[in-house]
This record gives sequence, structure tokens and C-alpha cells, in this order.
Amino acid sequence: MTVEATLEAPTDTRRAARFSGEALTAMGLFALSAGMVAASPLISPALGSWSQIYTILLLVSFLLVISFGQGLVILTGGLDLSVGSVMMLGGVLTTTWIGGDSATFWGVMPVVLAFGAGIGALNGIGVAMVGIPPFIMTMGVGIVTASLALGYTGGTTLGAAPPPLLLLMKGDILGAPSVIVFVLLFCLVAWTLQSRTTFGRKVYAIGSSRRAARIAGVPIVSTTILVYATSGLCATLSGAMLVGYSNGATLRMGDPYLLPSIAAVVVGGSSILGGSGNFVNTICGALFLATLESLIAASGLGQGWRTILSGLIIVGALLVQSGWISGVFASVARRVRGAGG
Amino acid sequence: MSLVPNESLPGTRPSRALFANGALMAGVFYVVLYGVYAAYDPGALSLATFTDLMNNAAPLALAAAGQTIVVLTRGFDLSLAGTISIVSVFMAVFPMEDAGGGAASFAACLAIGGAIGAVSGLLVAFRGIQSIAATLGVMIVCQGIALLILNAPGGAVAEWVSYEMTDVVFGFAPASGLVVLAFALAWLLLRKTDLGLSLYAIGADEGAAGLSGVPVARRRFWAYVLAGACYGAAGFMLSAQTATGDPNAGMPFLLLSFASVALGGTSLTGGQGGVVGSLIGACVLMLMQKVLFAAGVSSFYIGASQGALLILAILFGRLVSRAASSGDAK
Repeated sequence: MTVEATLEAPTDTRRAARFSGEALTAMGLFALSAGMVAASPLISPALGSWSQIYTILLLVSFLLVISFGQGLVILTGGLDLSVGSVMMLGGVLTTTWIGGDSATFWGVMPVVLAFGAGIGALNGIGVAMVGIPPFIMTMGVGIVTASLALGYTGGTTLGAAPPPLLLLMKGDILGAPSVIVFVLLFCLVAWTLQSRTTFGRKVYAIGSSRRAARIAGVPIVSTTILVYATSGLCATLSGAMLVGYSNGATLRMGDPYLLPSIAAVVVGGSSILGGSGNFVNTICGALFLATLESLIAASGLGQGWRTILSGLIIVGALLVQSGWISGVFASVARRVRGAGG
Repeated sequence: MSLVPNESLPGTRPSRALFANGALMAGVFYVVLYGVYAAYDPGALSLATFTDLMNNAAPLALAAAGQTIVVLTRGFDLSLAGTISIVSVFMAVFPMEDAGGGAASFAACLAIGGAIGAVSGLLVAFRGIQSIAATLGVMIVCQGIALLILNAPGGAVAEWVSYEMTDVVFGFAPASGLVVLAFALAWLLLRKTDLGLSLYAIGADEGAAGLSGVPVARRRFWAYVLAGACYGAAGFMLSAQTATGDPNAGMPFLLLSFASVALGGTSLTGGQGGVVGSLIGACVLMLMQKVLFAAGVSSFYIGASQGALLILAILFGRLVSRAASSGDAK
């Protein structure tokens, strides 16, 4: 019997039971996002147009790329707090090593991406081989990375965005914005990797039960390192995309994406403990967050209220997951029925 | 794992016991580092410099003390950053003068911290939400509240607080150092109580603690409340030192609190260690910053050295505990 078969047997039944819940969450989030876009002209007449949807999709593109890596790490039961710093490093290296020169782009961009993946792999080594708690390891590596990037630039970012990246973020392919085509392709590849390959299956196995995975012969150390390397790669890629979008790198440019990357995964319904989740759900979570963000920005609420709201959304999603909300509903329903009868 | 908190692992050889005692190790490290600092800066041995160092270290030390309480129960508390930020803006927006006002502010800071800790504790202990996730949400909400109170750095802390809490009292002791000492003593008392013992028991083996009659959820809840009160005190000492408010004041303390805990010899997987080690660990970290500045290291790289020290401290702690456990097996 192969490892595949032993892993398949238990996951299949659970997947069937989970499917409806996961799909419901995804559809619910999507419907909420669509509803918010439809209702947005009520808040500001400037909204609700195709250009608002385009802006949301553009903002979602960075978040999606970074959340895929974060989602894989969370699937193993970890957390990657270095993505913000790695994203900034990706941006800084893109502008300083490549700059406005399109000739060197295709040669150097892979090196930059590999650099980011290498930092991710370092996280994975600390977590899987040394046994350092994931969020401590990634927080430490994140601080070191940010500090080295700051020191490397001397506090001011130099250089410009490479033309191919400008084309990617601002150009068109076959009449459609090229960034949207790119992100659709990215999502397809990411979904396939997570849900349709043995690598993805191993990641799920590690997240549901490390011991069971070890017994089933899943190579835990190398898989974990690969997961963190993928997260580093995604963060670097999204840093490069942000350079194309804002035509340059800025210090701390990755920080605003760290918490949303976690929120997108958790709001999408993946367990923060690992072992369950789906990239489609993360996509819907990211869409929901970006739509909400664009509405709040238009509503003129201050930064304080926006921050409070995003924190409450995370806490709310966790309470829903822990069964509290449904428990409250159930007990209210019981009480109502009890009072009626 | 025994229920009694052994910070010194009896039965091991003296040399091994020295390495296994995190507080002692951190203390030795501090003295050595102070010697290095004195070599760079001959004024380092004066009372004024020591008072400066203590003023710098006190906020982090108290924050790390709170973090230790949560880490002992096998949790991680990110709400620390939010609590310190709220307290920082509270102190700057609502200054209360004189000794009475100072005492009232201190009590208010403890209460704010305890209340935020109660929210985290409710989510973690009674709703069973993973500590990192729950306290992350709480932290973000707190950051937002801090921004509502004061949307940019500014305001002025009461002069009584910013002068007296950073001054030398009785002619020889920095006031901030006495506050840290008071927290160390409070911890040594707490450790002997039922609550203190159950913190270790929950961290070592939650299931076994529950079976032997420890009310796990309730004790864990109080761990977060106590930790929150410590963050409140940390914010109070930070306000005394900076004399102004900052809605993002707490963020830099997050990593450093874990680094202090690890340096002080507390296991990040819970059940082993103590607050005293973390207090000294925090002093080591802040002293190291001074030494690096004195040695002419660019401020950009200070963060790199702190992150690296965090990971090294964990590696070292792991090696020591492995050596100690193989020693016990013999």
C-alpha cells in the first residue's frame, strides 16, 4: 500500500463533511463582498462602478499572493510573521539590483525571488529542525531581515521599478488588465499546488496530526522547510509587484500587509491550528477584507475605527470558528422554544 | 515534570545547575556586559548612568514579567503591544499631578491592563481560542482604541510622574529599579501560592493539572489578567521615561518581551522558568543596546542584533535543557 492511499482514507470522509461548511463560508463571503459593492453608492456616489471593482482587485492581488504562502504555513499549524519584512526586502532588492533596467530583469528577478525563498527556508529550518516555536522564529527573522534591509539602503530607498513590472501592474493583455490575468493564473497554480498535488496533501497531513504524518512516512522536515520557503517566495513576489504598482520601494512597505495576510486566511475559515482550509476560501476572505477596506476608506472613518474594526473581524471569525456564535444561536433558539411551549 | 517549580534543578552538578538556572545565567551575563560597557565608557559606573539604564530597562522588564506569566502556561500574549499603547496615550491625555495623582494613574494603568487581560483570558481560557490568534485580535483592537484617544504622538505626562519615577530615591536607589524589584518580590510571593503553582502545572501538562484538581480555565484566565496588569505597569514606567504619549508605543516591545523571556531562561513551551530571569533578561537586552551604540554600531543594525540574540538565547536554552535532562537520566 502506498503512502497516498493511507493518507487518502481518513481525509476523504472528513472532506465530505467539511465541504459544505467550507463552500458555504466561501459563498457567503463572496456574496457579502458583492453586496457591499452593490450597496456602496449609498455611502459615496463615486463608488459602485467598474473602476471601484478594478481598484479592489488590484489591492487584492498583493494580498492574495502573500496570503497563499501564509495560508500554507498556517495549514501546518504555524504562523509566518516575517512576510512583511521579506516583502520589503523583495521591493528593496528589486529596485536596487534591477532598477529601471529591463535588460537585467529576467536574469536578476529569479535571484531576488530565490533570496526571499532562502529567508523563508531559514524560518523552516529553525521551526522544523531546531524546534523553535514558528511565530518566535519568524518574528526574529523578520526583525533581522527588516533591520538588514534598512541598513543596506542606509534609510533611503533608491532606484526605480523595472519596466516589465510596470507593464505587469499597469498594462493590458488582450484588452484585460494584465495584473488580473496574472493573479488569476497565480491562483490557479496555487490552488493546484495546495489541493491537487502530493506536496499539498503532505502539508494537510502535517497540519492535522504531526505524529500520524510521521508514522505515514511524510517527510516532515523537508516539507515544512518547503512550505516556509514558498511563503518567503510569495512575500518577495508581492513586494516586487508592489514596486511595479507604486513605481519604487518604500521602507516598511510590507508592514500593512502582515496582519491582513493572516486575517484573509482566518476569515476564510481555515483553522488557525492547522490541518484544514482551502485556498478558494482564502481568496474569498481576501476579497471580503479588501472590499470592506475600500468601503471604510470611502466612509471617512478615522484610522482608529478602521483598526478597531479589523481587529473585531478577526476576533469575530475566531469566535465563529470556535462554535461560540452557533452555540449562542442554539441556546437562544432553545430558550425561545422553551418559552413558547 | 514535577509540580514544584524548580528553577535550579536539584541533583545536578553545581556547574550544570548554574547553566540551568536562567536568572543566574542572565545575571552573570549582565555583569560581564556591564564590564564591557565600562571599558568603552568610564562614566558607566556612576549612579547617574546606572539610573539611566534602569529607567530604560524598567518598561521592558515589566512587560517581559507579564509575558512570562502567560508563557509559563504555554501561551503567547500579543495584546502586550496594545495595552502599552493605550496606557501610553492615557497617561499623556489624562495627566494627574502630585503624589496622589501619580498613585491614581498607576492604579488606573493596572486596571486598564487587567481589563484588557481579562478579555484575552476570556477568549483563550473559556472559549479555547489559540492564544496567539485571540491576543492578536485583542492587540489590533487596542491599537485602534489608542489611535482614537490620541491619533499622533504628543501630549504631556504629569510632571510628578516623569520626574519622580526616573529619579534617585533615598540618595542611592533609582526609583525605576525599586519598582522592578517590587515586581520581582511580588512574583516570588505569588509563586508560592496556589495560583503560582498551577501556572507551572498547566504549562507542564494541562491534562494532568486538570486531573489533579487544578481549575485550569479559571487559573489560566487569571494568568492573562495578571499579565495585563504588568503591561499596564510597563506602560506607566514608559510614560515616566518618555514624558509623552504615542499610540504605537507598544509595538517595539513585542519581540523584545519574548527575547527577554528566552534570555531569562523560561522555556517557550511553558512550565519552566520564572519572572526574575525575564526581568534580568530585559536589563541585559537594553544594556546591550547601549554597548552596541557605544561601540559605534549603526542604529539600523541594532534590530538585527536583537533578533539574532533572541534566536541564540532559545538555541542556548534548548542545549542546556537537553544537557540537563541527559544528566538526569544517568
